Amino acid sequence: MVMQMLQSLIKNVWVPMKPYYTQVYQEIWAGMGLMAFIVYKIRSADKRSKALKASSPEPARGHH
Amino acid sequence: MNENLFASFMIPVVLGIPITTLTIMFPTMLFPTPNRLINNRMVAIQQWLTKLTSKQLMITHSPKGQTWSLMLISLFLFIASTNLLGMLPHSFTPTTQLSMNLGMAIPLWAGTVFIGFRNKTKMSLAHLLPLGTPTFLIPMLVMIETISLFIQPLALAVRLTANITAGHLLLHLIGSATLALMSINLFTALITFIILTLLIILEFAVALIQAYVFTLLVSLYLQDNT
Repeated sequence: MVMQMLQSLIKNVWVPMKPYYTQVYQEIWAGMGLMAFIVYKIRSADKRSKALKASSPEPARGHH
Repeated sequence: MNENLFASFMIPVVLGIPITTLTIMFPTMLFPTPNRLINNRMVAIQQWLTKLTSKQLMITHSPKGQTWSLMLISLFLFIASTNLLGMLPHSFTPTTQLSMNLGMAIPLWAGTVFIGFRNKTKMSLAHLLPLGTPTFLIPMLVMIETISLFIQPLALAVRLTANITAGHLLLHLIGSATLALMSINLFTALITFIILTLLIILEFAVALIQAYVFTLLVSLYLQDNT
């Protein structure tokens, strides 16, 4: 069933859209790579700041 | 009251699983794929509207720019349908999330910039300097134009997010104000209700206009670069 789904996907999506995905949208794929890089940077910075906040000792006076 | 106000902007969760992808894909169910030459009424109306929009949007582009028609029309249809579906009370609107709008704006804007750099390097760099600037202003103006170039994706995303979120929030607030005023002073409640009605009409217009503005700006960036 998975093979049939894959075949139907290829026949109905990939074949008509092949010139778009391979030629017209090349720059958009590059833009998506840029976006993925930005998302990775933001997520790692968030993780680093959360780890720092968790590991550092909390101030004795508490939050203001 | 605070928790209640922002409840409609929280990601919908079913049995502990966030169903964001399903919510985003839902508007596609409203646009059936036509398989015949002459279709039913709903598909015929959609085809007519699509043709009208695509002609108006893409006629000013060069042939290379017109290869993006599919992308731009899909973008417009997606944002318009998502915003209009968000007008249903208590529904979740994906375009209120900055993450999604940035996800739409950054790849498309970067795509237009890369097209310009790749095919017409000198012309796309020349866009960084407006015509007829005095010589001593050139360095500062190039810096300003570069900054304005990099702000474009942020502006696209934040414009859409802020407009839709603010509209929904305002409707929520004025609606609850109307409800609260009904037990205090009926006349004021009526005035507030009229304000609410006008705001709803405005929100419908904003939903469509914002979709159009997003797509138009992307097409303008494309035109500059093709």
